[in-house]
Amino acid sequence: MATRRLLDATIFVAPLLFLVVVWAIVVPVFQVNPQIFPSVPAVVQAGINSIIDGTLFLHVGASMGRVILGTVLAVLVAVPLGILMGISKGVSDFLTPLLRFFSVLAGIAWIPIATLWFGYGFGAIVFVIFNGVFFIVVYNTLLGVSTIPMSLRNAAASLGAGRWALFTEVLLPGALPNIATGIRTGLGFAWRGLIAAEMIATNVGLGYMLFVARDFYQTEVIVFGMIVIGVLWLLIDRLVLAPFERATIERWGLVR
Amino acid sequence: MNALLPLWSFWVRTSRQWPVLQTLAPFVPVVLLWQAVASWGPFPPAFFPAPMDVVRSFGTLMYKGILPEYLGDSVARLAAGVAVGVALGIPLGLLIGLNRRAYDTLWPVVLFFQAIGDIAWLPILIIWFGFGLTTMAFVIVYTVIFPVIFNTVLGVRSVKIELHRAAQSLGAPPWRILTEVVLPGALPNIVTGLRNGLGYGWRALIAAEMIVGTSGIGFMMFDARRAGSVTEIVLGMIVLGILWYIVDAWVLAPIERATGRRWGLTQ
Amino acid sequence: MKSLGLKNLSKTYYDLYEGSHHTALHDISLDIPAGEFVSVVGPSGCGKSTILNMVAGFIPHSGGEILVGGEPVKGPGPDRGVVFQSFALFPWKTVLDNVGFGPKMRGVPKAERDEIAREYLAMAGLSHAADRYPNELSGGMQQRVGVVRALANKPDVLLMDEPFASVDAQTRMTLQDELSRIWEERRPTVLFITHDVSEAVFLANRVVVLSKGHVLADVPVPIERPRVWDKLVEDDAFKELSNKILALVRSA
Repeated sequence: MATRRLLDATIFVAPLLFLVVVWAIVVPVFQVNPQIFPSVPAVVQAGINSIIDGTLFLHVGASMGRVILGTVLAVLVAVPLGILMGISKGVSDFLTPLLRFFSVLAGIAWIPIATLWFGYGFGAIVFVIFNGVFFIVVYNTLLGVSTIPMSLRNAAASLGAGRWALFTEVLLPGALPNIATGIRTGLGFAWRGLIAAEMIATNVGLGYMLFVARDFYQTEVIVFGMIVIGVLWLLIDRLVLAPFERATIERWGLVR
Repeated sequence: MNALLPLWSFWVRTSRQWPVLQTLAPFVPVVLLWQAVASWGPFPPAFFPAPMDVVRSFGTLMYKGILPEYLGDSVARLAAGVAVGVALGIPLGLLIGLNRRAYDTLWPVVLFFQAIGDIAWLPILIIWFGFGLTTMAFVIVYTVIFPVIFNTVLGVRSVKIELHRAAQSLGAPPWRILTEVVLPGALPNIVTGLRNGLGYGWRALIAAEMIVGTSGIGFMMFDARRAGSVTEIVLGMIVLGILWYIVDAWVLAPIERATGRRWGLTQ
Repeated sequence: MKSLGLKNLSKTYYDLYEGSHHTALHDISLDIPAGEFVSVVGPSGCGKSTILNMVAGFIPHSGGEILVGGEPVKGPGPDRGVVFQSFALFPWKTVLDNVGFGPKMRGVPKAERDEIAREYLAMAGLSHAADRYPNELSGGMQQRVGVVRALANKPDVLLMDEPFASVDAQTRMTLQDELSRIWEERRPTVLFITHDVSEAVFLANRVVVLSKGHVLADVPVPIERPRVWDKLVEDDAFKELSNKILALVRSA
């Protein structure tokens, strides 16, 4: 079974490896200026250097730390709030335009005011991430709760469920598909907001690493950084988001 | 309590006739709260502008012609970027969705490049093209193309094989099957892709304008930050929010619903 | 099992769009002694589901009283078990956890409530489905789980809201046979809402005909028990009674 998975993974990665091979050939053959595009060995070397001198871990750590903190905080606040808002149809209908408006703004648009309020650095960036995830998750949670059939809530009540039990046994699981979508969307916007914010508002992190390298025409650092960003997002998607969605939604037959 | 019922009934009837009222309703208490915090709250006006300050700023910038010009620049760039992104994305999506070999070769590439994200390209784009329109255009097109491809592929795959076979048995050549069966069948998803693409697109635009631009709403907000002018930052955010809300909720969402519902393809 | 009493029950609601009051139910009184099976029939819109929702406590009643075992009740609760037309099984819980939900709310520990759940599932012949999720079961099986879930919580009365309307005709007859058998064993007090007159006559001791929000007729069903479809399909007394009640419903 493991060898099968490995085989599938290799077949999947094959086109990318092919691109790497093309890259490795084109650069020396056409004598591409290293200030325009780096060669494969240069990028590998830049990568190794950043691991040895610890800068890779510094930047990745800073970026991931901000993302994790911002996202966890946002989800912890947004989900209960969204559920509370979603319980009553009147309240959720009333609040929906408001939430949609703020969801629409989520992420990058908050960078200027975030840096004004929190100064440059960690606080502002976490705020941007929090924002990106928060409003979208509240909106999606509210949507999810409002689509739970009334008969399920009635069934729970007729079986003796009190308010807390209703919350944990019916509303939360019932809204989970929408919550998962909200987290995925919000995280996508937040991740982009992170990179953008790190380019203009701080002195550590992946965005910063890329932007500073630009000043020195260190294209090998830039390309290495881009690959790291790509791999990180793929890891987040495959190791966090997809398993969560598989374990909950698909198992319960709630995919719409 | 019962005396309020006729009033509530009046509200229900009026808001059903004018749906825009229902949209505006929740903002009234928010703006009032905003004013209250600005007037009596602990924040200085340089930090937290009052609604009236923002309105005044709007008036000034409109009068000076700056706001319409910046808005026009931003919208033009976005429209151009989206047009190119859609023009490239839909055919690619069709190809990947219909052709097994194209899928196997291109899907991993598409997934990986989408994971890198548009913003991460800015540094190397600046090296190649400098601070300017080409860089911004690339970023917007890059951002828009992926949701369009993904949703087009999804849409193509949602067209059941029986429909292909029915068309074949009725004598349709592959080209006609594409235009008469696949494209209409995939249309709801394509519209969703367009909607998502625009959502990512305008965010990429704003980010690009902040980092690279010399005009546009994003630039206006970033410049205002540099000058410490909080009112213009807030104005920019509200303009963006209203603009995008209108486009998304009143143009794109109904189109999305209409294409799906018209053909009974969604519930 | 306790008795269920409806005293002068009425329901008026305010239509926000019209801006006026509207009476759905006028002065409904009904006495169901403990252990009796009463079925309520009537044309669409006569208010029969409204009665059940009020008795269950899902919607408030405008006037009158609902008495369980002589005591007035308000709001939903485990004393009145409900079986829903749409089954209302929790899709994120296994069949076993669904059936054990009521005991879980009462604080029964896991091992004990699993045992209770399995006992009730066995009674309905559903032991093999215990670890499945509802979306893996057919409609008929889901509703059997629904009935078992309500019974496992040992309610004082059982309320059933057109429970077999969402399954196909064959399955419906099987489910009716099974409900009849379960009722023989356990004798719950049942209020059963349906639009299907022959279903009502098959299952109930009494059939109440509702028309435009008030009681039109209260007809006893003297047919012997145990009742099985195979035998009753050709039974003259059964057919005559069904036709008589159907005529009443049509005239409503």
